Amino acid sequence: MAAYITRRLAAILPTLFLVLIIVFFLIRLIPGDPAAVMLGPDASPEDIERLRHLMGLDQPLMVQFGRYLLRVFRGDFGMSIAFHMPVTKLILQRLETSFLLALCSAVVVFCLGVPPGILAAVKRNTWIDQFLLMFALLGASIPSFWLGLMLMLAFAVKIPLFPTSGFSSVFQTGNLANFRYLVLPSLTLGFVNSALVARLTRSSMLEVLQEDYVRVARSKGVRESRVILKHALRNAAIPIVTVFSFTFAGLMSSAVVTESVFALPGVGRLVVESVLRRDYPTIQGLMIMIAFLYLIINLITDITYAFIDPRIRYD
Amino acid sequence: MFKVLWRRKIGLGGFIVLISICLVAIFAPFVAPCDPYQLNPSIRLQPPNRAHLFGTDMFGRDILSRVLYGARLSLITGFSVALLSGTLGVGVGVVSAYFKQTGMILMRINDALMAFPEIILALALLAIAGHASLANVIIALGVTYAPRMARTAYGLALRIREFGYIEAAQAVGSGSFRIIFYHLLPNLISPVIVQTTFTCALAVLGAASLDFLGVGVSPEVPSWGAMVNEGRIYITIAPWVIVFPGFFVALLVLALNLLGDALRDALDPRLRRLV
Repeated sequence: MAAYITRRLAAILPTLFLVLIIVFFLIRLIPGDPAAVMLGPDASPEDIERLRHLMGLDQPLMVQFGRYLLRVFRGDFGMSIAFHMPVTKLILQRLETSFLLALCSAVVVFCLGVPPGILAAVKRNTWIDQFLLMFALLGASIPSFWLGLMLMLAFAVKIPLFPTSGFSSVFQTGNLANFRYLVLPSLTLGFVNSALVARLTRSSMLEVLQEDYVRVARSKGVRESRVILKHALRNAAIPIVTVFSFTFAGLMSSAVVTESVFALPGVGRLVVESVLRRDYPTIQGLMIMIAFLYLIINLITDITYAFIDPRIRYD
Repeated sequence: MFKVLWRRKIGLGGFIVLISICLVAIFAPFVAPCDPYQLNPSIRLQPPNRAHLFGTDMFGRDILSRVLYGARLSLITGFSVALLSGTLGVGVGVVSAYFKQTGMILMRINDALMAFPEIILALALLAIAGHASLANVIIALGVTYAPRMARTAYGLALRIREFGYIEAAQAVGSGSFRIIFYHLLPNLISPVIVQTTFTCALAVLGAASLDFLGVGVSPEVPSWGAMVNEGRIYITIAPWVIVFPGFFVALLVLALNLLGDALRDALDPRLRRLV
């Protein structure tokens, strides 16, 4: 197993290095002088020169790249221009909200994706199957910002069950009631991201249910619920796990919008704020961190495969 | 069989909705009851009524007219992004599959680009472009969705490359250009069309989200996403300002997804049982 993990880890390192190169050169694509763009039209030439020096822009490109790599490995993404604090600290401050939101949304994705997917496969070609397929398609089509606002309208404005927006830390206050701030955002994120999981659960279950070992289990007189949950689901789990890792990217993407709708102080909202304020060091730090997280999730997915299906380890 | 027919019927429904929205977009000046830009503060935030079927917004503009004009922007963005990402993605995918050395490098870069969640990459590209405009939104989303298309095209082209007729073409001395254009691409076209339809749906959603976040086109231009963004602070007193534009985004995306599903069933029966 250790050899397998090492192999997978070695496979993501080149991608991670490329991510760093892309982010470095992307920021240098800014037309004109990045320092001048960041400081705006009213900045004096001295200020621009000082920022150029501070950012190392007056150095040769390769020196800049070398310094950038060194700083990234130390976890230093520079100072945020808009928030006047180290980017790393800024991102860490916002992580709690995003982490809890992703966790709650993943629970919703699981509940809305996996059981309905299994049900649709078992009840193939019935009205239940068609209804669930349509429901999944609807999930993939509704814009998350609109669904969020509609849920807010229904369950925060018309029937005031949940707060409309904002968030108060759960870890700092120790107040579990603060999870109520995350109910509507998680439902929004969960619903729009569950469509793919539901469809893939259905299709992989359909495939597995036609296998010989399922037929054997049935012919032995094993209870149908046991056939589905024990014999079929475990074998259908690999595509479901894969799609969960894709869903993470989906969660990050839609979290950008959802956190803005519900004014949640998370990483997604920080992305929008830093883009609107042209805070390039923060954008750079966020892109690296999010891509890094994505690659780690992929790695965890690969390791999960090996646990579910031991054959993978020996491939 | 029933399911396929049912799906195709639903796909036909999606196609009809899409064509209707296209017609409405083309003939917006004739079907819209009012000028979508005309401000009329005396009738601001009026609920739906006979004169204004979808009500009016915070500047007294007719929401129905703005929704009808908004269809233009959504469709232009959706189709342009699908075309751009399709061309870029298929180009990179096919070249990578055919020229294996170059392909290894290109697909690594592709993988790295896929590590960025789509909307975040689009936001970063827009931040770098400096100013928001329709062209920049299309380029940002086009570049963002291209890696996904490249991955699909690469996988397919890699398989086709091993087929006998490609080997035969090489044996009779056909050049790489000829093989790619006459033998590889025509065999890729069906799955690419299906994927392009889904990309179009994603692009409509993506562009609406960017407009909603305030980084897309300028707010006075009738755009569904920007309309929801502008109207969200009036959610308690005038929900109609956000209900209609958002509903039409969902309707257009649903129509495109249904059409994509039906096209996949019709063009690639092998995939029918999978999804």
